[in-house]
Amino acid sequence: MASIINSISFKNFFNYYGDYYDTRYEFEEGVNIVVADNGAGKSKFFNAFLWLFYDQVLDSDDKIKKGIKDIAVKIISDKAKSETAIGDNVETGIQIEYSTGRFKYQITKSFTATRLSKKITNFDSWQITVNDVEVNRTDHVLPKYTPVYDADEKANIIKQLILPTLRQYSFFQGEEVDSIIDFGKKSSIEEAVRTLTDISKYEELVFLTKEFKDKAEKDLNKQTKANSDHNERLDKAIQVKQDLENALSNQEIKLAEYEKLYDDAEQEKNELEQNFSNAEKRNDLDNKIKEKNKRTNEVAEEYTNFLETINNRFFDGNFSWISLGFDNVVEDFQSKIQQFREFHFEKKTLKNINDPNKHFHFLPIDSPDTVSLKNMIDHEHCYICNRPALIGSEEHNHIIKLKNRPIEAKNDIDFVKNNFNNFFGDLQINAQPFYNKISSIEDSILKTREKEIALNERLTKLKKELKSLKDQRKDILIAGNDSEDSMTIINRYKGAIRRIADSSFQIEKLQDSIKKLKSSILNTEREIQALRPSNIPEGYLLNYEISTDLALATENAKNRVFDNMVNLLEKYANEHFQSLIKYNDLAGGILKFEKSPSGSILFNYIDSTGNIVHGSSEGFQRMKKFSVVMAVISANTTKYNYPLLADAPLSAFGSAFTEGFFEAVGEVFPQSIILVNDLYENDDEMKLNELGKKIIRKDFIKRVYINQIDKNKEQIDRTTDKIKLK
Amino acid sequence: MTSQEFKSHILIKRPRYANSRIPVIEVLANKGSRRSEYSQFGPIYELYMYAFLLGLKKERRLPLPPRDLTSDFGLEIGRWKRESNLTDFLLMIIFTRNEEIGFDWNDLEDMDEAEITAVVSKIITFMEEYANGGLEYLHELLDKGQLTNSHYMFIDMYK
Repeated sequence: MASIINSISFKNFFNYYGDYYDTRYEFEEGVNIVVADNGAGKSKFFNAFLWLFYDQVLDSDDKIKKGIKDIAVKIISDKAKSETAIGDNVETGIQIEYSTGRFKYQITKSFTATRLSKKITNFDSWQITVNDVEVNRTDHVLPKYTPVYDADEKANIIKQLILPTLRQYSFFQGEEVDSIIDFGKKSSIEEAVRTLTDISKYEELVFLTKEFKDKAEKDLNKQTKANSDHNERLDKAIQVKQDLENALSNQEIKLAEYEKLYDDAEQEKNELEQNFSNAEKRNDLDNKIKEKNKRTNEVAEEYTNFLETINNRFFDGNFSWISLGFDNVVEDFQSKIQQFREFHFEKKTLKNINDPNKHFHFLPIDSPDTVSLKNMIDHEHCYICNRPALIGSEEHNHIIKLKNRPIEAKNDIDFVKNNFNNFFGDLQINAQPFYNKISSIEDSILKTREKEIALNERLTKLKKELKSLKDQRKDILIAGNDSEDSMTIINRYKGAIRRIADSSFQIEKLQDSIKKLKSSILNTEREIQALRPSNIPEGYLLNYEISTDLALATENAKNRVFDNMVNLLEKYANEHFQSLIKYNDLAGGILKFEKSPSGSILFNYIDSTGNIVHGSSEGFQRMKKFSVVMAVISANTTKYNYPLLADAPLSAFGSAFTEGFFEAVGEVFPQSIILVNDLYENDDEMKLNELGKKIIRKDFIKRVYINQIDKNKEQIDRTTDKIKLK
Repeated sequence: MTSQEFKSHILIKRPRYANSRIPVIEVLANKGSRRSEYSQFGPIYELYMYAFLLGLKKERRLPLPPRDLTSDFGLEIGRWKRESNLTDFLLMIIFTRNEEIGFDWNDLEDMDEAEITAVVSKIITFMEEYANGGLEYLHELLDKGQLTNSHYMFIDMYK
């Protein structure tokens, strides 16, 4: 029969000030809810059960569970403490009534504190005496409780409320539900299945019947030897069977090793799965970021370099900004050089007057200069006589000849101290790059600005793109683990996948070989039967046959039960999951349970197209876990007989899950007592929010209490008051 | 003296600047690694050339203090922007201003070495004084905080 908590009451327990009858909460089979705002006694309520089960309470200051005696002074209601005179004492305790089958129990745990000095919150101010646990029992037909004296019996009665092995599934606070099942570890689900179902009994049976069979066989063989006349053929057959069995056992050991490899790899895979999908994305993004970063840096460098070298354009002959505004220099120089040459050659002419041939030149010696000549050649025009000189024409050839004329200067007689004609001529020629571009400098400056703007825009765009990638990367970070680098995760994941595949292959091979060995053993066994002398006492044969059948049947039954269990788990988990998320607009996936090659249970969450879904909100994860816990409970062939006691199980669910949650627990647990703040609304007359009002109207909700605390009062005067809404 | 020798005579000179211009030089010439909040030239001679031409444009000719109060930047004119013929252009500009400097092109051809040295010296002084004028202009703007913090600062001032 199920254990049903009938009531809980407190005596001066934290803010639950007053005697047991003042603070009595009554509960029924079905769903019971205590709604309380933060600080209004939810966790204290839960602490009562911690005291009941473990003689501990959770110290809300440091979140550490502490022994009752160590924290007693904190437990006593401040109001009760202040009302206790020095030398007087105050009692603090909890009282729980529960019934199971035909009995009803009342359990009281308490301590007495004697005040020694003034400071009430000082631990030294109080002397604590923990009182004996009081347990009373009544048969439903009897009106009165009778005390239970035996300590073991008392302990058993407390244990039976929720069996210790089941408490992790039935008694938890907030995020503790996360640790109930760790989806990364398949052993975690198996442990739940083993704890909550009777599958382990089948395993025990398999082990036992195998032992029986082995024993029966040994006995039979002993008899056979005793009764046969050293039948060589029989001995040989028994020997062959022995060898086959040894081989089988070897293979089974190997199989176990590969199964372990498989399981470890599977576990690693599951653990990495979340990280892997993120790691892949992260790696992908990292590569993109790297590439983009490189590009951005290149452009940034180009841009900086561009800006820093703008001034180089003053001196670079390709831009010649330095000559901006010196347009007149060219003309001035031209006229000065002309003037200079006239005078220069005049002097020369005067010096060379003794050589008439040299005197009568149309043009001064070395005139026109090579640059002018080149211009004339390029433009096919003689600027001296202003006539065309087309390529190939006599005139053109003449100009070319002039340009290539030998330098005759050395034959000249010195006519000046310093002949600077070349100095000026060279200046004019060499400086060409600078003065030729003067007219285009304004344009060059404009183009420079345009190029800068274009570069800047390119850089800004790249920076934006980079930031967007980095933001995406950051989002992934939240869900993933960045301590390991993405490549390592990917490699580890791929390694795990490979090991799964490898060991899976080996397992199949070994299973095949084991099957063959088993079949050989069976055939050898038949041969042995045929070779056995007929004079063996029938009992031995019969015993052997029966135990062999039994072992086989048990093994099959276990496998069948296990397979059924997996199917049932899947069925229930999905049912519960659907009802948990039914008020949520999320498209729920499918919880998939499978038997792994190693014979263990695999759990996956897949979408409607069969793809494994990774990562989802914390609330969603918790829903999945809860569904599995409830499925394990539902799949149990015997009814689950214990209440669910949960403090703030909804904290991460989100309101859309809340409604589904209450419905689902109602279907799985015979009784649940849920402490929540999610339904509380201070401004409402009923202190309930809309969802709360909707939920308490449901039939399966049996009792609803609201805890109230006057927050305007000093802690010393605070008491928790309850309003019974249903 | 040949053309080449004459040119060399000018190009081996190291024009000087007034020590008082050092702050502006430090801000506006990068000289390797020094950075400032303003656009900069690379080596000092770039700034010097710019200042010289800026001085010409702004018609600011300012004598230098006595030699003891001046410095050179250790680089002969011939080594300024050696890879380009920029110095030829500078010399073109200088030689168009020969009247202001105080010589005649043709006279040069009849001068003896000492006379030519004197002309070269005048040419360098001409450069130094306009460069000083240009640097003074920059210095004033710097002191008044009127230099614009733009990569186009030098070309904008040059227009």
